[in-house]
Amino acid sequence: MPGNVIEELKARNIGPRFCYRPPPGGGMTLDHIPAAAPSLARLIQELNKLPGIGPKSAQRLAYHMIRLSNDEALALADAITAVKQNIVFCDLCQNLTDSSPCSICSNAQRNRTQICVVEDPLDVLALERTHCYLGLYHVLHGVISPLNGIGPEQLKLKELFPRLSGGEVTELIIATNPTLEGEATAMYLSRHLVHTNLKVTHLARGLPVGGSLEYSDELTLSRAFQGRQEV
Amino acid sequence: MAPLLDSGHGRARTYRDEALTLKNMPLGEADLLVTVYTRDSGKVRAVAKGARRSNSKLVGHLEPLTLTRLALSRGRNLDVVNQAQVLRSFASLKGDLTAVTKGLYVAELVDGFGLESQANEFLFRLGLDTLEAISRDPASDLPLYFFQLRLLATTGFMVELYQCVECRQPLKPDRHRFSSNGGGALCTDCIPNDVQLRPLSLRALKVLRLLHRRSIHELPKLKLSVPLDQEIKSILGTTVEYWLDKEIRTNSFLDHLQRS
Repeated sequence: MPGNVIEELKARNIGPRFCYRPPPGGGMTLDHIPAAAPSLARLIQELNKLPGIGPKSAQRLAYHMIRLSNDEALALADAITAVKQNIVFCDLCQNLTDSSPCSICSNAQRNRTQICVVEDPLDVLALERTHCYLGLYHVLHGVISPLNGIGPEQLKLKELFPRLSGGEVTELIIATNPTLEGEATAMYLSRHLVHTNLKVTHLARGLPVGGSLEYSDELTLSRAFQGRQEV
Repeated sequence: MAPLLDSGHGRARTYRDEALTLKNMPLGEADLLVTVYTRDSGKVRAVAKGARRSNSKLVGHLEPLTLTRLALSRGRNLDVVNQAQVLRSFASLKGDLTAVTKGLYVAELVDGFGLESQANEFLFRLGLDTLEAISRDPASDLPLYFFQLRLLATTGFMVELYQCVECRQPLKPDRHRFSSNGGGALCTDCIPNDVQLRPLSLRALKVLRLLHRRSIHELPKLKLSVPLDQEIKSILGTTVEYWLDKEIRTNSFLDHLQRS
């Protein structure tokens, strides 16, 4: 149902980019902004709740919004309202979309034999920018994080397995981040799919473009050696 | 470790230390907030600026369950990581899902029992030795039991396994009880009538005493029966959780893996 998506993500408290944590002490209250008009103080207070926005940034943004023209300010408010009303999970890939199935899942040109598993919707945008992958996606909305009490049941995994059982998909590409938690999620997935005929791969690990051997850790270097390719 | 620069107030502004990374979490646009357990300064929370960028010189060095040599600057609230160099990455542990979850269990308990700015080199070594033992034998639960027992000992909560905690008489072979909040075993004469206490079988008591006497490098190759394994797991798990006074989050996923 529209409007429930963000609530669900907040309630499940998963994915650092979607995880809303109030600032220490509950954030700014109206009492902390006595000199501002009440409506302005309220706007500052609401902006201060956004991730990465501190009190000073909230004030700067609020005063910037006052300087916007009526049309610009209403367009911003309208965009926020539209997102809250229209965004739903795609029934297939679980990405956030205006209509389900999303534009990628409903595109007949996409390769339907490959599914790329990513942690969150921003990873889909990053991979789409490369223009080198033409298959489908599946968004987990988080990773297995035992230290934060997040297990497989909190992820969109139960929606993934039915997609793999139809016989159409031949390759599952795991594109979780190369962090301890991302790797744990990848290992969990491959452990569950070991008895299937599915080809399970994950993105190459190794040196980043523009990186330096000197500063690389031994795990990255050993993975880079394992994944070396003929020139 | 030697202070690098003296601020004039008796505390160096920068310092170096060996550290076991316990956890990290994103902070701001590209920073990481890392919690490490150091040899000389105990638990330290520090900011690694820009460490989430793929070309950062710190990326990869601050992953959980990694032993690093850190150069840090003292900050007003949080210290800042200036340099990091991996000393041990525990690569084989990180390649096994059960082993990595057990490693995170160790990290959670070191984080929970370790105190900020209060060094406990025994706890530091215990954490590293346990990760090493888990890497060697990911399937065995004995390294975790050893860790729990020694963790309680090194933080002042050692359970009594040789005398009754009530009458202080040596325990004779019998059907004893175990009290987590009482601090250990109770003999049959001291079992209260109005309180239900966990039974402590003779075999479980023997295994616990064996773990207590051995070093982690000479852990016995014991094959525990399922009921005995469950009994020891429950006794140690409940005691650790009682003294930690909060839920151990890694437990649920560890149980999930062991069931599946």
